[in-house]
Amino acid sequence: MNATNRGVNRAVLFIVGVLLIGVGGATVMAMLWPVAGDLWKSWSSTGVDWMVSADQASRISEATTVSWFTLAILALLALMVVIAVIVIARLGGGRSIVVIREEVGTGALGSVTIRHGFAADAITRSLESREEILSSKVNARRLWGADVLHVSVTPRQNVSPVEVAETVTGLVGRLATLLGREISTIVTIHSGIRSRLAADQSRVN
Amino acid sequence: MTSAVLKRVVRREIHSPRTVSTVIVLALVVVAAIYVGVEIVLHLLGVGPFLVAPGAALTWLQELPDQHQGLVVAGGLLVAVAGVVLVWFALGAGRRPKHELGSSSYAVLVDNGVIASSVAERVRRELDLSKGAVVVGVGHRSADITVRPEPGQPVDRRHVRAVAESELAGYELSPRVKVRARVLRAADVEGLS
Repeated sequence: MNATNRGVNRAVLFIVGVLLIGVGGATVMAMLWPVAGDLWKSWSSTGVDWMVSADQASRISEATTVSWFTLAILALLALMVVIAVIVIARLGGGRSIVVIREEVGTGALGSVTIRHGFAADAITRSLESREEILSSKVNARRLWGADVLHVSVTPRQNVSPVEVAETVTGLVGRLATLLGREISTIVTIHSGIRSRLAADQSRVN
Repeated sequence: MTSAVLKRVVRREIHSPRTVSTVIVLALVVVAAIYVGVEIVLHLLGVGPFLVAPGAALTWLQELPDQHQGLVVAGGLLVAVAGVVLVWFALGAGRRPKHELGSSSYAVLVDNGVIASSVAERVRRELDLSKGAVVVGVGHRSADITVRPEPGQPVDRRHVRAVAESELAGYELSPRVKVRARVLRAADVEGLS
């Protein structure tokens, strides 16, 4: 869970997908249907002629073969690269180190922040002593202006998820009581390779 | 208090962000753009092309319908299929194999694998079956339970279903899961293999 803009992801996939369908479909049509083949040839020669004339008309000087037209194409390619890199760089994010923050004026003692490490230590240490929980991880995120605590646990195989949920939410609830504030929390219970490997350890019930 | 945010977080956690496919697609776009740029610059410098000169590529494109049919058609089909896959990725829901647990007052999400193994354990204990005799698969809206009892051990399909349903009822999953049970007799197993 993070602050990735998923709309952008899907828009990128959609645009590239539609372009590929267009290019691939047009190629196949041009090859298999003579009418489309002729259309392809006439359109492409018109396009190439236009590009050649634009190239020759916009030469920077008489001496070179460099034209404003080619420079524009290079600039367009550079812009594509920059946009792609920006989209990739903006993926993820939203990680926070604060679980609870009280600004000056809202709390009785002024500004108070509870850091992620405190909650993470408290919860993971308590879960470590639990037989049925193999591993746990605590993240804090600041998403859409609210602090959210994310506890993810991997229980041993065959353990009821309801029991695990009760254990974890009980801990979070006690932490909230201790701190005197509700913590918006999401708990995720995972099955993983570790839980499968640890399944054969017999437990006495 | 922040239940709107939590709802949103849960929804995002249940659906794939499509990050991996986006990164792959964008990386390919970057590589293609850089390659075209390099060829143009090489052409402008008067140096020989890296793979193909821009002019030659355009001529090839122009005369495409006269080229080797099979290879180009196959390539075109491949490109179109890749496009369909990407559009499907863009518009599909991309659900992850998870369910929300309704029995807790907090937002709790459980992998389908955890639900399956827990249901299997309960059915196994209730019907006194051997280890590995119960196989459970949990999907988005259904749970398939296959029981393989020892020869001579009577197992009723409806009983299996009732046990699994009572276990799942305690989870209050959302979306709800429908139980389908199957009992394989030893003879059936032999017949299948």
